[in-house]
Amino acid sequence: MRLFRSRQAWLGLLLIACALLPALIKSPYALHLFILVFLTVMLGESWNIIGGFGGQYSVGHAAYFGIGAYTSMILLRDHQIPPWFGVWAGMAIAVAVALVIGAICFRLRGPYFVLASIAVAEIMRNGALNWKGLTNGAEGILAEVPPFVLGPLHIDFVGKVPYFYLGLILAVMSIVANALVRVSKLGYYLQAVREDQDAAHSLGIPIALTKNTGLAISAALTALGGGFYALYTGFIDPAGVLGIDVSIQLVLVCIIGGIGTVAGPILGAVVLVVLSEALRSNLLASALFAVGVPQGSAIGQFLKTNLAQAHVLVYGILVVVTVLFMPDGFLGFFRAIVSRRKRAEANS
Amino acid sequence: MTALLQVKNVSRYFGGLKANEDVSFEVPQGSILGLIGPNGAGKTTIFNCITGFLGLSRGEIFFDGNSIGGVQPDRICKLGMVRTFQKVKPLARLSVLDNVVVGALCRTRSPAQARALAREQLELVHMGHRADALAGGLPIGERKKLEVARALATQPKMVLLDEVMGGLNPAESEDLIELILAVKKRGLTQIVIEHDMKAIMRISDRVVVLNAGRKLAEGTPQEVVANPAVVEAYLGAALAED
Repeated sequence: MRLFRSRQAWLGLLLIACALLPALIKSPYALHLFILVFLTVMLGESWNIIGGFGGQYSVGHAAYFGIGAYTSMILLRDHQIPPWFGVWAGMAIAVAVALVIGAICFRLRGPYFVLASIAVAEIMRNGALNWKGLTNGAEGILAEVPPFVLGPLHIDFVGKVPYFYLGLILAVMSIVANALVRVSKLGYYLQAVREDQDAAHSLGIPIALTKNTGLAISAALTALGGGFYALYTGFIDPAGVLGIDVSIQLVLVCIIGGIGTVAGPILGAVVLVVLSEALRSNLLASALFAVGVPQGSAIGQFLKTNLAQAHVLVYGILVVVTVLFMPDGFLGFFRAIVSRRKRAEANS
Repeated sequence: MTALLQVKNVSRYFGGLKANEDVSFEVPQGSILGLIGPNGAGKTTIFNCITGFLGLSRGEIFFDGNSIGGVQPDRICKLGMVRTFQKVKPLARLSVLDNVVVGALCRTRSPAQARALAREQLELVHMGHRADALAGGLPIGERKKLEVARALATQPKMVLLDEVMGGLNPAESEDLIELILAVKKRGLTQIVIEHDMKAIMRISDRVVVLNAGRKLAEGTPQEVVANPAVVEAYLGAALAED
């Protein structure tokens, strides 16, 4: 209990520190990084509900992300409905799609759900590419975000700061949602289904209902994330919000951070966002040069021109290393170190 | 008064294989039925049929006044019948307590209530001190006991135990026999599949013998062991093993 309280205190402090950051950090790029982390945390936590607790590995969450993004953008473009209302429609559609997929695929065991989830997301992407009247095809949708007005509150979505706070709120909300699911009846049911479906079934757990509920919550939160992404970038296209790399990103956040834990996706999001930004700005090559790889040499030239594009390769290596040496993700790895140290202290 | 469980002319075929053929028996409220027979006799198949894991090819099953042939396992558990598995199925990455909590949630509203009930059930099988261990790391004896505790936590009227003593040492078996008798004292009805004849003789009110999918004999334990057909088909082999 004392541990729990001190942990809550720490989380509170961390949250306040986060909330104060925009007062200290003025660099738009740094704020942009934080917004990306918040978005990624939110998406990781969303996936974690069905993938982590329920053990149902969806590699098609881009479908829900894209539905959230497209619905809010189309409603804004065609009907001038602001995204913070439009995204609710996106979430509702995402839930409806999730329930249809779940009703069909959750009857099957093993890898079928994974395959079906990929297929659905790809169908959506192709649909968005070709239904030009609605989605504007590959050119995507560009829309101007209106100011948010509620009574005396008037927020112009200019600069990074409003997005920073919105992202922070959404990230915290998704973390809280995860923590609540985890200790709820649904959380126990999902974990039981993950561990052994027959045992769960014999203990009175309705398998299909449990999986569908988990998927619906996960899809709704993912669509909310999609709406936030659309609001933030003001531009969406099929590859950006419905591509398979979006789906894979969500899975990676959880695998790298620690699947089936509340804190795992937070850690995973930080690692992945920092890593991908470091790669994009070629920090990795610079670091290698700093430790002595000669810049002028053939190897140096090669690294300089290619490492920035090696995004996916480095992701891949990171996943392999994580799975081999840290099967419970960074979080599990750190926990193991802490408990080993505690045991050593207890022994001495 | 009608029996709590009535199995009526149940057949279950897998293609041309008759895993169960025309099996009938009844289990009165509060009694223990021992179910014995050689390997492949269809004991686990009839368990799967009764608890909803398999549909019936023919026949009917009534539990507590409900026809339950083809009803899903979770519904059957809600009606008050629960089973254990011969090959135990611990929820490996959950704690021992959480395993039992999952069972307890069947008839409690909140996880907090379920946790209180789960602790009681763990004490009942003398595993209170193991509450925080991961279920996947338990030795076989404790896994079997956990399986029983988890089933009991669903607050059933009837429990089906599939070889809970298999692979246990004599002391552990004795623990489980006492547990089964304690459960009977609380008024629960049980079916017990077991190979250990001494245990079956001690705990069973009646015994049903299956052989090659059919019911070979039924009666009190004494009647069954004296039955020449049973000795021929099963006990001869079992006694030779001892």
